[in-house]
Amino acid sequence: MINSIRLIFALSWRNLWRNKRRTLIILFAIILGVWAMIVTAAFMRGMVFQMLEDTVDNLAGHVQIHHPQYLDDPVIDNSFNPQSAAVSKLLQDPRIALSSTRIRLAAVIVSERESSGITMLGIDPAQESKVSFIGRSVVEGRFLDSTSDNGIVIGKALADKLQTRLGKRIVLMSQDINNEIADRGFRIVGIFDAPLDPTEKSFIFIAKDNAEKMLGLKNKASEIVLRLHNTDMVNSLVNDYAQFDKNIDVMSWLKAEPYLEMMIELMDSSMFIWYLIVFLAMAFGIINTLLMAVFERTREFGLFQALGQKPGFILFQVWLEAVLMIIVGLVIGNILSWLSVLATGDGIDVSVFARGMEMLNMSNIIPFVITFDDLIVANLTVAILGMLTGLYPAWRASRLVPAHAITRI
Amino acid sequence: MKHVVKCENITKIFEQGLIKVNALTDVNISVEAGEFICLSGPSGSGKSTLLNMIGGLDTPTSGEVYIDGDEIDTLNRSQLADMRLHKIGFVFQAYNLIPVLSAQENVEMVMQMQGIDKHTRHQRSSAILKEVGLEGLEDRKPPELSGGQQQRVAVARAIVSQPSLILADEPTANLDSNSASNLIDLMLHINKQHNTTFIISTHDPMIMQRARKLVKLHDGQITDIISQNNHV
Amino acid sequence: MNTAWRFAWRNIWRNKRRTVLTMCAIGFGAALIVFSVGLQLGQYDLMISGSTRIFQGLIQVQKRGYLNDARMRNTIPDAQSLAKKIRHETAINDIAVRANGFALVSSKERTYGVAVIGVETQYESYVSIIPGLIKSGRYLSADNANEMVIGRSLAKNLKVKLGDELTILGSGRDGSIAAAVLPVTGVFESGSRELDRSMIQIPIKTFQETFSMQTHAHAIVLYHQNSALLEPIKSQLDGILMPMNENLVAVGWDQIQPGIKESIELDYSSGWFIYIILIAIITFSIMNTFLMSVLERTREFGIMLALGFKPLNIGKLVMMEALILTVFALTIGTLIGISVNYYFLINGLTFEGMEEIAAQYNMPATITPQISLESSLLGPVTILVFTLVAALYPALKIRKLKPVEAMRHL
Repeated sequence: MINSIRLIFALSWRNLWRNKRRTLIILFAIILGVWAMIVTAAFMRGMVFQMLEDTVDNLAGHVQIHHPQYLDDPVIDNSFNPQSAAVSKLLQDPRIALSSTRIRLAAVIVSERESSGITMLGIDPAQESKVSFIGRSVVEGRFLDSTSDNGIVIGKALADKLQTRLGKRIVLMSQDINNEIADRGFRIVGIFDAPLDPTEKSFIFIAKDNAEKMLGLKNKASEIVLRLHNTDMVNSLVNDYAQFDKNIDVMSWLKAEPYLEMMIELMDSSMFIWYLIVFLAMAFGIINTLLMAVFERTREFGLFQALGQKPGFILFQVWLEAVLMIIVGLVIGNILSWLSVLATGDGIDVSVFARGMEMLNMSNIIPFVITFDDLIVANLTVAILGMLTGLYPAWRASRLVPAHAITRI
Repeated sequence: MKHVVKCENITKIFEQGLIKVNALTDVNISVEAGEFICLSGPSGSGKSTLLNMIGGLDTPTSGEVYIDGDEIDTLNRSQLADMRLHKIGFVFQAYNLIPVLSAQENVEMVMQMQGIDKHTRHQRSSAILKEVGLEGLEDRKPPELSGGQQQRVAVARAIVSQPSLILADEPTANLDSNSASNLIDLMLHINKQHNTTFIISTHDPMIMQRARKLVKLHDGQITDIISQNNHV
Repeated sequence: MNTAWRFAWRNIWRNKRRTVLTMCAIGFGAALIVFSVGLQLGQYDLMISGSTRIFQGLIQVQKRGYLNDARMRNTIPDAQSLAKKIRHETAINDIAVRANGFALVSSKERTYGVAVIGVETQYESYVSIIPGLIKSGRYLSADNANEMVIGRSLAKNLKVKLGDELTILGSGRDGSIAAAVLPVTGVFESGSRELDRSMIQIPIKTFQETFSMQTHAHAIVLYHQNSALLEPIKSQLDGILMPMNENLVAVGWDQIQPGIKESIELDYSSGWFIYIILIAIITFSIMNTFLMSVLERTREFGIMLALGFKPLNIGKLVMMEALILTVFALTIGTLIGISVNYYFLINGLTFEGMEEIAAQYNMPATITPQISLESSLLGPVTILVFTLVAALYPALKIRKLKPVEAMRHL
């Protein structure tokens, strides 16, 4: 048996290279297909990955803690005590790497010339700078340096819109704890730059103590965002604390953006459809090429049978030829896609479509992300379907009747 | 005496579209072990068809073929393949060899299928290639061998598994007379040395002269059986 | 059909299975690309009409510079009479004047910063669907009425119901304080989260009075359902505006909402990137068929050469065969693609999860494919070009053929 397999293997491999040009042409189609599968998957993965990264980085964190009503109605009344026994206990969970406690409310910012509706974030600068993008995004001036810093940090696009700049004063207005309009002046100490314009236009940062003073809050927060050691821990942590305390709601960041979750699911199925389409495009060529190879070797298969080869032997020999071809295609295709992903470095720049990307909530550099799962699915799709495809020409070859096969010229 | 091959009332009808052709009509023939038989006749007389029937490559429309006493009609494709592998060796007119395998690999292939170990395989194939006079050419691929050399490899492959019967279909048709003569010498030598039964279809007078039994076919019927007492 | 074509047609059917498999590959590619280009174009139509129909219009006349810097003081003087003139001269009736401001809106309990839009009550419904989407109460009645309509989410956030009064507080065109107290006469639900949460509409004259605008406004909005007419209408408008006031310009939806235009371009180019790869794969996989059908006839071609055919004629024959095969397969594939598009045009296409994503991007959850020349022919023509290039290789090989050698070929 081992002998036969070794013989079949040698026969298949040598036959594969008997007509080099033909094999290379169809191999090229397979390689191109595999490359396209993996690279498009990496691009789509990268797009979603970037979207998720941006979302997490963009203030969402991995897990969010709110007052149960806050998401429906993000107002000052729906805040919670961040120092309650329950919250303190939760924050000691070892899965949590970082946290930031925020007052996060709608407000109006007024400069000398213009005004704009924004979201104000009253934060502890030390905490916040580690959790979200803001810590490394201040491009002019400085970030807030303490919980009682009197400055304000605003986005570049907002500064342009308000026709103001570093060092100028602006007034912030929002609703205080008594439903009165509270206002307070701040000096702009820092300007931040974010990948997306809307981020720059909609968020401003002030120190927590000042936010509390302005709004008349004491020991209250709108949200706490958590960063975990590992993204995979998100669901287990959220489940563990689902019914933890009736005053707080613990939620995965994905729940905050339901479309993202759908997007990921949709991507998995659309990737698979794409694999099938690419495979189908190659399959016709594979079958045709192998059938040609079979029919021009009719005489040889007849000879094999005359020499006492069982039909199964011939079937296996031709099938193995298909399998070897597909394996070679897969190996080269994988290597090429890996190389092309390496070559793109940090990702590809799509800033030609900058404003389109902005609409999709994405930044302009899309990294290629090759995941193990995608590789497995792409390779298995080609391998399994390829093996099935190879069966047809192999079956045709094994059905050739010996006497006819030999006498045919 | 036991018959290696026995054909009883074999008839074969080919249908080509609407035309029916009687390739063989009521053929009876028995072959004993160690015989060296030549089937002769003009092309279309049914030689190759008869040979294919005996080798189990084709089935008769009616009648029975027995190989070593087994009726081959009762065997399935896989059993037929086994029978060919162990009991019968084939030599064809041309395209005898697998082009992607070397001379030695072509010879070894049959043993490999029989499950013989690598060492034995190598020894036996080397010995047989030497016997057929191809020493030193073991690693050449078929396109690198002359027609005569290719046919010698084919004979070597046919005898390597020590079958009781070798069927040769016009083995000299593509050879020059010198190579053809050498090939006949080789086959007669093997016939004598190993007591292997040969059935050769041919219209080559050189073979007809030297065969010990001459079976003449015409229009699918045996017209004459001549025993010749040749000196080898 | 002349003899050469008939000859070519018979030749391609000499090996039926091979020809059918090759046609399947080509037809499959054509059907797939026709279907998905149709789907993409259909989706873009929805995106464009969604973005223009709801509120923004196809074209807006604005003061030069307002597009990039929407300041209160960048206004169009005598906007309503200019709008009347444009209606008259272009014979397009779907034109309305708007003024845009920002203010704090307060109920008894809550305060939010929102966009305040002053609208021509009589014409607004021609350029926007919001007046038709009033879920409770009624739309604004007259240009100088003291009333407002607000978005559904905003009404909920402010905790107000019909008839409740809201205070508007902002700054006017001259920097003075703009304040008004107006009752809510209607609540709209546009389906766009953004608009429903952060927009109120008040009559144009009330707006002008509150924000010290006199007869000025910020935009004259024009709607036309055929977005392809963008450029001609724009130049017609420029022709009217130029002699009157060179500070006024007509801007198209693609400038007002460049994000939509660019995300369409992004989607279309990435789509074509994928189609080209797919076509290349198909081309390679059928190239062998073309090559084989020529190589296996070497002997035959040798005889033809011996009979006096020129290599060029045989090359032509091979190209004709490729052309017939491809066009035949493309026709079938394209028809299948169009039929699938037609089916979904009638029945609509939607899939699980589409709703959430569509809502995020403010699009309907059902896509209807577009059936047009572009969607039906662009893909197949591209495939044709690719396959003919592939057929060129074996056709050129024939030129090297020598009759005697070729005839000796088995």
